Amino acid sequence: MRSKTIGDRALDTFIYVVLVCMGLMTLLPFANVLSKSVSQEWAIVSGKVGIYPIGFQLDTMRYVVTNHQFLHSLYISGLVTVIGTLGSLLVTAMTAYPLSKRELPGMGVLIVLFIFTMMFNGGIIPNYLLIRQLHLIDNLGALILPVLVSVFNMLVIKSYFESLPVSLEESAKLEGARNYTILFRIVLPLSGPVLATIGLFYAVYYWNDYFNPMIYINSTSLKPLQLYLQDIVMNADTSSLNQSADDLMNVPAEGVRAATVIASTIPILLVYPFLQKYFIKGVLIGSVKG
Amino acid sequence: MSKTGTAIARGPAALTKRGGRRWRLFRGNLDMYLLLLPGIVFLLLFKYTPMYGVVIAFQDFNIFSGISGSEWVGMDQFQKLIHSGDFIQVLVNTLLISLYKIVLLFPIPIVIALLLNEVRKMFFKRTIQTIIYLPHFLSWVIISGLFVTILSPTGGLVNEMIQAFGGHPVSFLTDNHFFRSVVVFTAGWKEIGWNAIVFIAAVAGIDQEQYEAAAIDGAGRIRQMISITLPGIMATIVLMFILRIGSLLEAGTEQILTMYNPLVYKSGDVIGTYVYRMGLGQQDYSFSTAVGLFNSAVGFLLIVMGNMLSRKFLQRSIW
Amino acid sequence: MRKSVKALQVTAAASLFAIALAACGSNGNDNGNASGSASAGASGSASASAPASSDANKPTLKRLQLWQDQDPNTYPVAKFLEDKTGYKVQYDMLPQDKAADKLNLLMASGEAYDTVQYGADMALYSDYAQKGALTDLTPLIDQYGPNIKQAISQQSLDALKIGGKLYALPSTLTYKVGTSILIRTDWLEKVGMQMPTTTDELKAVLKAFKDKDPGGHGDQDVPLTVNGDTAFLDDIVGAFGMPNAWNDVDGQLVPRVLDPSYKDYVAYMSDLYKEGLLDNQFVVNKGATTKEKFTSGKAGAMIIHWADIPSVNDALKKTDPNAKFEYIGALKGPNGEAGFSGNAGFDRLTFIPKASKHPEDAIKWINATLEPETFKELAIGEEGKHYTVENGAYLPILPIFNDERNLANNYMSGTDEANYPQYWQARVHKDPVMFEQFDILNNKQPDDVKISNPLGLAPYMPNYSKYNQQLETMVGDYTVKLIAGAEQMSGLEAFQAKYKAAGEEASAKEINDWYATTKK
Repeated sequence: MRSKTIGDRALDTFIYVVLVCMGLMTLLPFANVLSKSVSQEWAIVSGKVGIYPIGFQLDTMRYVVTNHQFLHSLYISGLVTVIGTLGSLLVTAMTAYPLSKRELPGMGVLIVLFIFTMMFNGGIIPNYLLIRQLHLIDNLGALILPVLVSVFNMLVIKSYFESLPVSLEESAKLEGARNYTILFRIVLPLSGPVLATIGLFYAVYYWNDYFNPMIYINSTSLKPLQLYLQDIVMNADTSSLNQSADDLMNVPAEGVRAATVIASTIPILLVYPFLQKYFIKGVLIGSVKG
Repeated sequence: MSKTGTAIARGPAALTKRGGRRWRLFRGNLDMYLLLLPGIVFLLLFKYTPMYGVVIAFQDFNIFSGISGSEWVGMDQFQKLIHSGDFIQVLVNTLLISLYKIVLLFPIPIVIALLLNEVRKMFFKRTIQTIIYLPHFLSWVIISGLFVTILSPTGGLVNEMIQAFGGHPVSFLTDNHFFRSVVVFTAGWKEIGWNAIVFIAAVAGIDQEQYEAAAIDGAGRIRQMISITLPGIMATIVLMFILRIGSLLEAGTEQILTMYNPLVYKSGDVIGTYVYRMGLGQQDYSFSTAVGLFNSAVGFLLIVMGNMLSRKFLQRSIW
Repeated sequence: MRKSVKALQVTAAASLFAIALAACGSNGNDNGNASGSASAGASGSASASAPASSDANKPTLKRLQLWQDQDPNTYPVAKFLEDKTGYKVQYDMLPQDKAADKLNLLMASGEAYDTVQYGADMALYSDYAQKGALTDLTPLIDQYGPNIKQAISQQSLDALKIGGKLYALPSTLTYKVGTSILIRTDWLEKVGMQMPTTTDELKAVLKAFKDKDPGGHGDQDVPLTVNGDTAFLDDIVGAFGMPNAWNDVDGQLVPRVLDPSYKDYVAYMSDLYKEGLLDNQFVVNKGATTKEKFTSGKAGAMIIHWADIPSVNDALKKTDPNAKFEYIGALKGPNGEAGFSGNAGFDRLTFIPKASKHPEDAIKWINATLEPETFKELAIGEEGKHYTVENGAYLPILPIFNDERNLANNYMSGTDEANYPQYWQARVHKDPVMFEQFDILNNKQPDDVKISNPLGLAPYMPNYSKYNQQLETMVGDYTVKLIAGAEQMSGLEAFQAKYKAAGEEASAKEINDWYATTKK
């Protein structure tokens, strides 16, 4: 590599300074919640915990992660996230590929039909009735099937497919390959970054979804983690003085809430660093071409 | 299916020619349509089957009577929204906050992706990427609680700094001059890292050979950024922008609900918060459906227009 | 065509696969979880501990109740009730957020729950009753419910009748007064003043807190802090004769903003605000911020519910071991009025949906839970194990009481009205400091300052329940703005006109028509 020019150095410095500042700022809220999860309750209540723990202890964290319901919900969330993400990626890629071929008859109309559903939906009640008719109430299928394809994600993949050079597919076609062979053998292997991105989006969606479970799941044993988290965080809003005294006396401590937030967020946070290798490398289309 | 084909073939000459080409394309790519099948089944079953529910907006719906048993009230629910006293103010706030968010916050994730692309130290790059998307995972309740503390005029971090530089403390969360800025800033703080991911991935999708070729031609890094990276992710930028303007009327209900107070309703009350605060939508499925329908119609119109304009001026479009 | 059929099969198979996996997931993990899906009953731990009184004819009942942070099926009370009643019960919970929406869906789609326990939302209750979604309980109680009749007073049951029929059983409220101003008594000593007894004295005390700065943080200290959603400060608003949202003014019920004393109250409050005696940032305060200011020793007084006291006490004592606090009693206002808002009405309602497959067994089960000794053990456990009795008061044994009876109220379907308030005080005794303050408000204050909310026992009124939330929000926001100087008193008449038009007139007519009947 050539030695760096002064301009290059200045640019580098600028970039590093901007990114470090941004990183520090965005780290603040997480550092705060993390500190609360391992601090003494009195220090949290009196507002002394900032970005480092006061009176470090792990009892709260231990209490949260050994809770039977927490562990069980964790399992349900993991199951839904893994199956949902794989299923969604497959069907979304299968849908996006034909739609990226605009010359095919009907594709334009179909795209508009998909986009229409991004904005318009029937609302809770008809959806609930549909899920009920499909016998999916209180079934984990209700957390996956109704959200199998996200139109947003589908459009991102479609846009990526459109950016791939046509020449690749044409040469394969000349050799008599079918479209699905081209999709699975040539296009998808070149789509690492976009599949990683969309996989992340789906995984985070399935992991964070609490609305569908809230509506479609009744049994305690099928409730995923986010529903549990949502209930705990909501429950703690003691600003309403009209709550009954029994509820107020049973509000989980602030430390417990913080620990629940941390314990239920860390598993999904681990997905991103794992996927990053697909982002950072970049694609070498030439190597495939040759 | 072959019936359709013959029908087109029997048409006038011009149509026959075009139809014939389309028919050949269709016949030649039947397996493409098979690939679409699961997606279409999903679309029809889970998206369009429940769509009849929008008629609730024109009813006085009662959940026990169902759609067939509820009373039809025409446009009453929409009238109720538009004639509620503060609607104009609320609409203006919604548009302003949303526009600020689009203008100020839409470009930042793109810039981040471009900057990160220039970073050669892998560990640093990975660390920053991971850190800046963290706030996305915390709920607004938590983030807002934190900002109340940071922005407090008595002992808050920001005001301590202002005072250290000789300024007067600012009551950010109760002053109508500052509230919208706080909303936009905190929304940026929470979401830019997350929103950057799709652009980072788009940058990663650019063919590396192009950079090598440009370097050989003697193009500097800034030149490469402008002439290779930016065009390389333009399709993603256009797509994201068109989809973004579709949610113009959603200015951040959850965020504002956790941050605002009566003193800043004048600048901060948006459609979502207004409806919630007044309890207008509570258990009132018809009214909330009507508000949703209003938002959807405006959003869909904007997406269609955005797509049209982009096709005309940028030669790019979603469909 | 053949291909597309095949593809369809693949799609269907994929869906089934997902569902099957999901189902496996649910079955595989019910160990130690007494209910869940039907197949779970076979799991080892559940069958090993089958109750002796189990009766083959007794069906498994399904109950829906409010949210709690532990699995209701494995909570000790569930096991206790199964042993006592011989009924297996599958407990499902509503979510904490949007509980009413979920309940609506379940009720409207006819989900077969045998008992449902929900908050005392009269509007929801009467809607269900009128839409025919609930079972008429009167004949069932006559036949199978001797304990129910014994436990719940006729007066309570009458208050729940809709069109002459009874569709729900009430859990009664257990105490009268919840909130007041908690003040730092060590600050009072430092500034050499007595506990205030009038609004003027309160103001003088707050002024001394500001001028003499007993907290020692200078500008950062606030004499009195409250939550941002508190426009009407308990105790102070009572001193102006408006302890409740609607108060009796010359025989008519009048909402606060139309009350003749409203102007005086607002004038007093905005004065506190202007002079810096009321936290200048109170509008942005959430519950946690208020507590934070008080427990970090930066606030001299705050408005708080006694149930919040344990965490406040712990944190404050760490900050300042010498700190002491106490509730201010009923303050007298300029016209000599004083009072707290007194709870009236019900805490929760339990009903049997029309869709229930076993309404008779449901009522038998409820009847069994209300058998006096069973109910007592349900509420506070066994003597010597969960509680002890001292001077007639029930004292909890910790931590087992917390672990096994804290959530007991979720399992009740009505209460033993004569005894429950006494049993219930065991919960308050969990923390001696909390009990002390509870005692000050509820037992030491004279009865005439606990002014019952006149609308507490009101029946369902369509306009009132339709407009109430909007009206309350309007008044709360407007009053906060007046106090903070963002609105001027000169605009009051215009606001009142708007307020009346927004549903107050319709509500007031209904309310006073009913109120007139109660005084006959």
